[in-house]
Amino acid sequence: MNQYEAALFNDKKFGFLIYLFVEAIMFLTLFATYLIFTPSSEGPHPSDVFETKSVILSSIFLLSSSGTLIMSERGLEGKQLKKLIPWLGVTLLFALVFLGLEISEFYTYVQEGYTLSTSSFLSSYYVLVGLHAAHVAFGCGWMIVLFIQLKRHIPHSLYIEKYKIFSYYWHFVDIVWIGILLVVYVRYIF
Amino acid sequence: MYIPFFEKHVPSDVIAAWVSVIIIGIVLATYVIKQNKWSVIWEYMRTTHHRKVGTLYMIFGFLFFLRAGVDALLIRSQLALPQNEFWLFQFQKYNEVFTTHGTMMIFFAATPMLLGLMNVAVPLQIGARDLAFPFLNAVGFWLFFAGGMLFNLAFFFDSAPAIGWTGYAPLSTSLFTPDVNSDYYVFGVQISGLGTIFTALNIIVTIFRHRAPGMKLMRMPLFTWASLITSFLILVAFTVLAIGLYLLMFDRMFDTKFFNGPDGDPIFWQHLFWIFGHPEVYILALPAFGLFSDIITTFSKKRIFGYPAMVISIGTIAFLAFTVWVHHMFTVGLGPLVNTVFALTTMAIAVPTGVKVFNWLFTMRGGVLRMTTPMLFSLGFIPSFVMGGVTGVMLSVSAADFQFHDSHFVVAHFHYVILASTILGIFAGIYYYFPKITGYQLNEKLGKWHFWLFLIGYHLTFFPMHITGMNGMPRRTFTYDVGEGLTATNFISTIGAFLMGIGVAVMFYNLFITIRKKERVGSDPWDGRTLEWTVASPAPEDSFQPMPIVKEMDPYWYAKQRGEDLETTDEKLASPISRDSIIPFIMANLLAVLSFGLMYGWIWLAVLAGAGVFMCFIIRAFRDEREQYYGKGEDGHESV
Ligand code: HEM
Ligand SMILES: [Cu+2]
Repeated sequence: MNQYEAALFNDKKFGFLIYLFVEAIMFLTLFATYLIFTPSSEGPHPSDVFETKSVILSSIFLLSSSGTLIMSERGLEGKQLKKLIPWLGVTLLFALVFLGLEISEFYTYVQEGYTLSTSSFLSSYYVLVGLHAAHVAFGCGWMIVLFIQLKRHIPHSLYIEKYKIFSYYWHFVDIVWIGILLVVYVRYIF
Repeated sequence: MYIPFFEKHVPSDVIAAWVSVIIIGIVLATYVIKQNKWSVIWEYMRTTHHRKVGTLYMIFGFLFFLRAGVDALLIRSQLALPQNEFWLFQFQKYNEVFTTHGTMMIFFAATPMLLGLMNVAVPLQIGARDLAFPFLNAVGFWLFFAGGMLFNLAFFFDSAPAIGWTGYAPLSTSLFTPDVNSDYYVFGVQISGLGTIFTALNIIVTIFRHRAPGMKLMRMPLFTWASLITSFLILVAFTVLAIGLYLLMFDRMFDTKFFNGPDGDPIFWQHLFWIFGHPEVYILALPAFGLFSDIITTFSKKRIFGYPAMVISIGTIAFLAFTVWVHHMFTVGLGPLVNTVFALTTMAIAVPTGVKVFNWLFTMRGGVLRMTTPMLFSLGFIPSFVMGGVTGVMLSVSAADFQFHDSHFVVAHFHYVILASTILGIFAGIYYYFPKITGYQLNEKLGKWHFWLFLIGYHLTFFPMHITGMNGMPRRTFTYDVGEGLTATNFISTIGAFLMGIGVAVMFYNLFITIRKKERVGSDPWDGRTLEWTVASPAPEDSFQPMPIVKEMDPYWYAKQRGEDLETTDEKLASPISRDSIIPFIMANLLAVLSFGLMYGWIWLAVLAGAGVFMCFIIRAFRDEREQYYGKGEDGHESV
């Protein structure tokens, strides 16, 4: 990356940081919503709803995907595709597993009669966790685009830029998940 | 009239609107075809340049301002006389009209016009060649456009929302307003709000990273300062609003239980709304303050008095803006302690505001005043705004607010503050920056007519409303009785409103003849002080080559004083990369189509449009405008 590109990259980094700040406020507002409405006087209590196993499993996959992404990032500088591609693949795989687990978790709850409109607790639960899951899904699409970008031989400095921005996004999504673990689940599971 | 497609009777105002839009459409189309202007339209649809995006913001903001202004005249016509039955604007129709008026004025007229002025002026004031992310800038504008158009569509399908600009729950939930009306509010405001957030982000990065060499933060013009701080307000406030609307959308579409039902909490909506709503008032006011500061210094031929105090007071106001939202909720029963705390924080805002007012006055003291149109608007602003501030302090006494609440006294108060700051500020800004935008200067004589008609009309409209309100007239009611002592004041208000309307018509005529005359002005028609007056009018697309070096505040002025040229450097700083693109236009409008599909339950349309939006993301990722500038070695940027 030459000086000129580095300066532009710094613009983008700064801009994206602000964007993540906006996202953080969004999630904070949703956390507040969840805290206000949980537990609700009507409908099920959170501890009746949540399933420990799927929460732990999905957390393991999502949180370790931040680690695998860092492994993959190591292959970025020297253009070591042998490092970059497989680890990015693992990250994508983990993300997809996480999504699968989330979907099956939601599916089970709904089967048990705990839907979006059952109570204000469940409303705020689905809206918050659902928005996070949507972020993971978006991230999966983004990773696929990153794979295709590799094939397209764009300037390597531009690729680094795109890749780094994605990695900020991905780590951010993981941090939000930690928040969800603490605020949404842990208090009612253990 | 009964029209099959609508499956209900269509009121005559809607028919009139359809007819006039079709006629105007035909006239415009013939004009475009005859004059062969397609290329211009196509150019503006694809542009990412800050001046052009700013111009688009101004044009559409102004268009929506006219629409909301017509609504205001309809409101005032209905209220002119007791038990009036003006056309069909009673009952539900009246609710629709004041909702449209308020929502449009705040979201689709005032905010975008200010963003437009920022777009035009901020890069030029700091010596930047464009906003940091030109593509994102276009996305921001088109999101505003798409949201505004969607909201306006409501009226044409006889589905205008009727929930007030505050969209209070539970009225806004599907329990009480199950039709699409309120959905237009939710989606229209949501989409344009997203655009506002992106533009704010862009402004912040631009100001922090693209200042000319030597332009320290404490040398920046005050409009730039105000834009910077406003942008931070936007980031927080509009994001909270976005989540509020998101929850409301879920309540309406998927029957969630946030704002109604046994556990739902309508007060939670009020909190979310006013955590946005109060700072929004400063989002409207601060940029106007900035403009007035620059204009007053220019036309007093003096440096701003107390520059650091001005900067600090903008920051303080912005901070306090987030501590006072409960003053809109004194009467919902949060208790005396909460009310007192928020009453005190509210009153505290008067201090930094007072500092600013005195600094403006001291700036003029001993200066060489020139009464140009922008200066007149700035001078008209000061006393008008102070009057609004006084009633604001009255309202902040929470015990007294139980009396004023939801009466026309409040309507008088907030029009005094918003109109005096924002609208007078925008008018001042339009006259001031018109040369930078178009290369022409507006006619001064007509400008003064515009000013006086508007200012007199403004006081005539809103001053009596204080009295009307204290005499017991509630806000948001379409009529009053004969013996209530409200007739005279209401009638005067209506006359005032039409005077303002005439003032705006004069401005229109002014725009028309100025653009037709095509008399070019030079780069510095006002004898300005800051960097924007060093580049040609209209501002060219590759401004600031070579870069000016800034060594003090108001650098251009002092250079002129010394009879020198501004020092420049050939140093190449990385500058924003822009490339015309139609994607922002398509993406934003597809988002409106997506909302439309969701609102009417046409899932196929929503899915198609949603897929289209994602396609736009992907196409853009593969056609990144940076691609051609990267990987070319140290001077790659010079190869184009
Ligand atoms: C140009 C002349 C204007 C006139 C004659 C006018 C008149 C009015 C009147 C009579 C109402 C009260 C409706 C009612 O409560 O029954 C009203 C409401 C309102 N106006 Fe204006 N207005 C004007 C400009 C503006 C501007 C420039 C803004 C903001 C930038 C604005 C924002 C609002 C808002 C937010 C409401 C409250 C709507 C609601 O209650 O939902 N108005 N206006
Ligand atoms: Cu307020």
